[in-house]
Amino acid sequence: MTLQINFDATWQDEFQNRIDNDGPWGNWDLFKLTIEVENQTVIPAFDGLQVDKHLSNLTPLPHQLEVAEQVVENMNGKAILADEVGLGKTIEAGLILKEYMIRGLVKKALILVPASLVSQWAIELNSKFFIPAVAQKKSYVWEQCDVVVSSIDTAKREPHRSLVFEQNYDLIIIDEAHKLKNNKTKNYEFVQSLKKKFCLLLTATPIQNRISEIFNLVSLLKPGHLGTETSFYEKYKKNARSLDDDEGLKELVNKVMIRNRRQDTGIEWTKRHVETVPIHFSKEERALYDAISSMHREGNWMTDSQFSLMTLQREACSSREAVFYTLRNMLKKQEQPSVAFQQKIEELIGLVENIQQNAKAQKALEIIQQINDKVIIFTEYRATQLFLQWFLKQHNITSVPFRGGFKRGKKDWMRELFQNHAQVLIATEAGGEGINLQFCSYIINFDLPWNPMRLEQRIGRIHRLGQKNDVHIYNFATKDTVEEHVLKLLYEKIHLFEKVIGELDDILTKLQFGSINDHLIDIFGQSASEGEMRIKMDNLTSMIEFAESVKEENQHAAT
Amino acid sequence: MQQHEIHHFLLRYFHANHCEILENKPGYLVIQLTVELDKELMNRPFYWHYLEKTGGVANPMELTLITNPSLAPDDIKGEIIHFGSPRLHQIFQSTKNLAGYIRLYENYEAPPGTQTALRPWLGLNLRISYQCDRKKDLFKSIGLHLINGQMVEQFHDKLLHLSLTPKIPDFSFTLSPFIKPQSGVMRVANFLQSEIEKEDHTWADEARLRWQKDLQLLERFYEDADEKGESFENEMTALQEQYEPQVHISIVNGGLFYLTDEAIS
Repeated sequence: MTLQINFDATWQDEFQNRIDNDGPWGNWDLFKLTIEVENQTVIPAFDGLQVDKHLSNLTPLPHQLEVAEQVVENMNGKAILADEVGLGKTIEAGLILKEYMIRGLVKKALILVPASLVSQWAIELNSKFFIPAVAQKKSYVWEQCDVVVSSIDTAKREPHRSLVFEQNYDLIIIDEAHKLKNNKTKNYEFVQSLKKKFCLLLTATPIQNRISEIFNLVSLLKPGHLGTETSFYEKYKKNARSLDDDEGLKELVNKVMIRNRRQDTGIEWTKRHVETVPIHFSKEERALYDAISSMHREGNWMTDSQFSLMTLQREACSSREAVFYTLRNMLKKQEQPSVAFQQKIEELIGLVENIQQNAKAQKALEIIQQINDKVIIFTEYRATQLFLQWFLKQHNITSVPFRGGFKRGKKDWMRELFQNHAQVLIATEAGGEGINLQFCSYIINFDLPWNPMRLEQRIGRIHRLGQKNDVHIYNFATKDTVEEHVLKLLYEKIHLFEKVIGELDDILTKLQFGSINDHLIDIFGQSASEGEMRIKMDNLTSMIEFAESVKEENQHAAT
Repeated sequence: MQQHEIHHFLLRYFHANHCEILENKPGYLVIQLTVELDKELMNRPFYWHYLEKTGGVANPMELTLITNPSLAPDDIKGEIIHFGSPRLHQIFQSTKNLAGYIRLYENYEAPPGTQTALRPWLGLNLRISYQCDRKKDLFKSIGLHLINGQMVEQFHDKLLHLSLTPKIPDFSFTLSPFIKPQSGVMRVANFLQSEIEKEDHTWADEARLRWQKDLQLLERFYEDADEKGESFENEMTALQEQYEPQVHISIVNGGLFYLTDEAIS
């Protein structure tokens, strides 16, 4: 086959001009310098990375360079980067982008990230990689800037959408790509219709939970790699839980996906110190909790009101404000509340009003004063968040709030405030996915999320590359409440904190038990009573223990 | 490029552009830019436009470049220059822009009373890029004798041994070319083309194989669909752009060189 050879004729037209006009002619010294520069910037081999020579503000870690090399040399520039949280996927993506830019294979690049991360991405690309990335704010940016960072939600809307499609992007990077697991969404459709010459999909959650998610994500990157939708689901059960069920499929997926684990990186991680802090209710708090707990014995009026008893119990463990807020909403939602219902609610509100102090908040204050350094407090409830802000202020401790719902600019600003001016950040969500707070090394889990994945994300905000100190995590659990039971069952028995979720998931899926996350959602979301929850939890625990013994056996067999 | 090489390079660049070097100390440089170089590097067109309109006194900037922060004094404020810094690449680009075209004469000291004939050469420095989803480059320097059509490789290296001057030296005269410079460029292009065609193209075959493979996957993906639609076309184009092997030849710089018979052997 003949090879296409293009000769760039732009130089010679001007050459004729200069001859006709007898100049102007260049300077011999500069002419010679040009050739020296040329010899410095010529890249004589297809293989190898150039990027490390171009970075002075960053020393990439070995596993990050390996990823970049792998993607460029063996995956043809199309890959899913699925490293565990905190291993530096952004750096890996930056290395690949830079390498392509140095070699002149990429000129225009589009980077789609959650709105909260837009400016952070732009700053990192500029400061660490000297890539002139621009955060999309005005519509002219699409046309005038070569490297643009934007959120999918902005890019997919007019007038941006048409402008985006007019550009000829060489590389598209999508952060938090696991959000594109459903192929029926507008976002999926949008990304699918983008032309992807080179493409990187970044995701932190292992996409091994459901086989359909894998299919959708891979098909976005490389359509046909896993066959057509029909043929794929004929071959693999749609609801099959795990990739590991099928070696062939796993191998196929690994051709387009790289996943590094903490233990693979050979990096010495700072330690995690996890401490469970038992909390004792005051008499008034106990009264409220008991009153709530006894409710399900008093007839079935609650089932009509569509709330879960457990929610209220959990809120009672957090703050009286959280309980009050929910109670008031319950009352509002009922169009014609029965007298008994109204009475019950009012009785509970009465109990709420009796409470004078919050035992957890007292403890938190004590710990914060003792630490005398930056602390992040996580709570599940907004009402608790507001209360804590007020409460800390009473004790002259500066704090800033943080919520998933904050706009991008506000998130950046809050992070900034926390880093430079405030001692405490009170967050309602790990929702700041990708927000990095590694300058802080203390977390108080004021109440625990029912989903341990969320917990890992919380810790991942601070226990990541760049964290210089050991990380301290304080888990609050109120004695003799549902909270303590959960903590015992879940977090202590499984030693969840010392482990990384992925590891456990691996074992479970190998044994075809399904994902731990699904189990937990079932246990805590679907159980009607604490009793049922405990039985299911015991069941899961024994499964895990069995899985671990299998793992140990394997290890013994291997040695 | 090592830091001291960068330092040396910058010095020569600013020298060649007639800038005054205010300070040249280990680890840093302070340069007084000329008006031309200020316009070239500092990107402030409004200032220069304003000056032209008002007829004010031009005040080109001073530039401090730090080539080694550990050697430079702590209180020096300036731009840190390293191999990846945008400023250095801007200067690289500027070097190229400022010296794209040249005409030089060999400065040959002929015995008194004799006249020296200088023969016209076309000198071209080129970059050949081999590109598919990966890329590599090759630098070539080729000289073409514009009278007898002789072609010489590594022409630039040979020029480095000669004394060259922009003005025709006394007691020298130039011979007119038989080959027009324009067609000379085409000769070089054709020569390179035929050379490249003779090379081993395994890399291109492999790229085509990767392309074919992905194309098959793509077609399989859409085989159930009655109407393949826009996204299919899109993906097809993307694959072509990703994999299609191509060679690009571009001229870095070049020009006319009038040399003695003995100069190029």
